[in-house]
This record gives sequence, structure tokens and C-alpha cells, in this order.
Amino acid sequence: MLMQIIKDTMFLQMKQSFVRPMFRFCLIANPIVNTIFLYEMYLQKGADTFLNYVVLGAGLMGIWSCICFSSIGDINRERYSGTLALIYVAPGGFGKIIFGKVLGNTMLSLLTFVISYITACVLSAFTWGEESSGIEKFLSTIIHIENIGYFIFASVMLILTFVLISICFAFILMLSRKTELYMNLLEIPLIFICGFTFPVEVLPQWIQNISNCLAPTWAVRMLRSSQMNWESFGILCIELLVLLLLTWVLYKWVDRRIRINATLEVS
Amino acid sequence: MHFLHMSWLNFKGQRAAFNFEEFILLDTAYPFLTLVFYCVMAGFAYGTTDVTDWVIGNAFMLCTNTCLFSLGTCFVGERYYGRIRSIIVGKTSKFEIVLQKGFFAAVVSVVTTLVGFALGCLVFGIGLSKVPWGSLLLVLIIAMFAVMGLGMFLSVLGLVSHQIHMISNVMWYVLLIFTGTNFPISQLPESVQIISYLLPMTRSIAAARELVAGAKLSLVRGLLFGEVAVAFTYLVIAAVVIKYAEKIAIKNGTLELF
Repeated sequence: MLMQIIKDTMFLQMKQSFVRPMFRFCLIANPIVNTIFLYEMYLQKGADTFLNYVVLGAGLMGIWSCICFSSIGDINRERYSGTLALIYVAPGGFGKIIFGKVLGNTMLSLLTFVISYITACVLSAFTWGEESSGIEKFLSTIIHIENIGYFIFASVMLILTFVLISICFAFILMLSRKTELYMNLLEIPLIFICGFTFPVEVLPQWIQNISNCLAPTWAVRMLRSSQMNWESFGILCIELLVLLLLTWVLYKWVDRRIRINATLEVS
Repeated sequence: MHFLHMSWLNFKGQRAAFNFEEFILLDTAYPFLTLVFYCVMAGFAYGTTDVTDWVIGNAFMLCTNTCLFSLGTCFVGERYYGRIRSIIVGKTSKFEIVLQKGFFAAVVSVVTTLVGFALGCLVFGIGLSKVPWGSLLLVLIIAMFAVMGLGMFLSVLGLVSHQIHMISNVMWYVLLIFTGTNFPISQLPESVQIISYLLPMTRSIAAARELVAGAKLSLVRGLLFGEVAVAFTYLVIAAVVIKYAEKIAIKNGTLELF
């Protein structure tokens, strides 16, 4: 029953998200333009930087945009559609429905990695042209993954991190009537602090301390490592547990506030 | 006076939902954080601590946030509030309505850009004393005028398209990539560089960088005239297209569809 609710919600959400032009923009156009931008920015840098900060950077930016403007914004959309209260009291459970929605969006948004990779390939083929071996050289540099098993594991940890963060924000924003404002304000700070497009080590120490308290920073570090980084994994697990606990406490608190205020449908 | 009164009403309407802290967060703190983000990235990418050019470029990009999105999406808001039909059949020129909506947004943008630039200078250790503030303000006003021209053109598209949010976002990225804000235009393929010179901001950013580097205003006159020409071109296009868009909007009868 539990899995059925999550699975059905996930597939429904994927379909609903994909028909929205703004989601398609975040999913398809955003990684393309971000890759072009990052490609030009890191043109002078080496192949390692290129893979870590152009392809992964653009993909991560794309995922986070999709999450900000869909997973978090979905609360607002349900409110406008008049279905928020209905899914809130549905017998299946609001938590499971939200989990299914966020999981659906996050899975779909993984496509941004593929799109940014293809864009980077096309760009390098154009730029390098005849003077080198062109796209073959690029592909041989960039597609090489040291440990494919570890890469898949790190990707799963990344998905888990994003799912938990999204659920956490979705619960917080349920109480607010200004979801649109806050979801717009969430995009750049996380990309900046968690080092999606440059290493957090270039930031001042006090910002690095904040970065290290955030699970996505460690998930991104894991993804960038070529082999199992036990330190990152350990810290990430602890931070995910804290996040899970925080989400649970938030859910209970938000649930109580919603029932007291009775303003769930007020937009 | 009527124009100012209506502009103020529109501005209050747009910001009525936010309290003062949220207004500051949205219009100053967040844009400033965006500026810092791009400057830190540029510092890492180019391996430099002198990010003056990026502070200038990204400070100018801050004005596009307000002008593009406020103006570009102005008719979308009216559609949501159910006023779009009254606006279309009303006697007031649609062009005037767009101008009213953009006036205070542009004023806020100028303030945001100047504050963003000053804070950026402080954070990245750029001497504020060597900045020619008067000339810079002039360049900024011209840049604002040019981006408003583009914003007006986009707002007109809002009468015939339901995807104006997407169009505005794409346009923001086009400006980010093609105006030389974060990397030199010369890095782009030659055939693509033409686009850069058809866009607002390209010349303003170049002029502002030269001014901060110590050039006299007379030396960047050519760039500023070019920017004014770009602004007028977009305004003329918007004025022509608005009539056409109005007719299409009435003919299609889909103005109030979401």
C-alpha cells in the first residue's frame, strides 16, 4: 500500500511536471544555458575542472532549480488548484504523497546531467574543431569514470539528500502565503554555499563552516570523488539523519500549526 | 502627476504582499548575493583576486532582474487579477500602462545596482574613491533605459503568449551569456558575437568598466550613443508590435486563459 501510493504519486507528478512549460525550461533549457555559461567561464581550466564544474555544476544547478520551482512550488500550485487541503487529509497520508511528488521531480530532474553532458560535448566539438581530435578527445577525457559502482552510489546519496531537503522546505513553506517569494530566494544561496560550481574551499572560512553543516555540500563532495570517501560519507549520513529528524519535527509542528490556524487554503 | 500616481499605485500593488524586510531581501540582499556568487566563481575560474570587472558587470546585471521580470510579466499579473480585459478595451494606451508599471521598478533597480556595486566594492576590496560615481550613474541610467526597452518588448509578447515567464528567463540567460558580463565577448564564436551588439547592456558594461579603469566620459561617448540607439530600437519595436499584439489578443479571445 505504502509503495503503491509513493509509486502512483511519483509517476503522476512526473507527468504533471513535464507538461508545465516552466518545468520543461528548468529541465531542458536551464542545463543547456548553464552549461554554455560555465563552459565559457572555465574554458581556460583543465579537464578535471571541466568535468567537476561544467558538467556536474550545470547538472546540479539544474536539479536544484527543478526542485526549487517544482517540488517546493508544488505546495503553492496545490493551494491555487484547491487540492492542498484534499491531499492533506487524504487517507493515504500527506507525508507519503509529498515524498512521492518530490521523488518524482528529483528523478526527472536527473535528466539535467545528461543534457549538460551532451551540451558540453557539442560545445567542445565546435570550439576545438580541427586543431585537435575534437569530440573524441573530449569524450575520452570526460566520460571516464574511475569507479562506476561508487558513482552510482554517490548519485543515490545525492538524490536522497535533495529529496530530504525538498520535503523539509515544502513543509516549512506550507505555513507561508509567500511560497513564490521564498522559492525564488532559495535557488542561488544553496548553489553558492554548497559549492556546485566551484570548490567551497575558495570561500571564506566562516562560510565554509556553514557549508559543512549542509548535507548537499558532502553529497557533492562524494559525487566529485573518484573513489569511496569515508569521511564525506560518514558526515553525510550524520547530516541526513539530522535532516530526517528535523523534517519529522517540522512535520509535527507544521501539522499542529495548520490545524490551529486553519489557513491552509488561504493564498 | 497622473502618470506618477498610477506608477506608484502599480508599484505598491506589486509589493503589497511583502513587508519591509522581505522587500529588502528580495530587492537588495538576494541580488547582492547573486553578484557575490558570480564574482567568486569568476575569481576561481580566472585565478584572480582582482574581480573589479566582474563586480561592475554583475552589478549592472542586477538591474535586468527588476526591469526584465517586472516589465516582461506585467500583463501576466493583470491576467491573474482579472483586469486584462478592462485594460485591453480601455482607452488608455497600453504603452503608457507598461511605462507606468516600469517607472518605479526602474528607480528601485538603479538603487539596487548602485548599492550592489558599492557593497561589491567593499567585499572584494575595490577602492570606492577611484569610482567616478556621477559618470557611472549616467551610464547606469542609460543601461536601465535600454533594458526597459527590451522589457517593454517582452511585455507586449505577454499579450499573445502564456509563456512569458519562460521567455523572460531565457532572455535573462541570453543577457548573462552574450553581454560580456562574466567572460569576454571575444571568447564567443564570431558569428554569435553579432547578437551581443544587438542586446542592451553590452555597451553599458564596457563603458562602465572603462570609466572605473580611469577613462574620461568623452572616451566612452560612442558606446553610450550606441546603447541609446539600442534602447530606442527596442522601444520602437515594442510600440509597433503592441498594436499588432492587441489585435491578435482580441481576435484570439484567449486573453483570460491560463
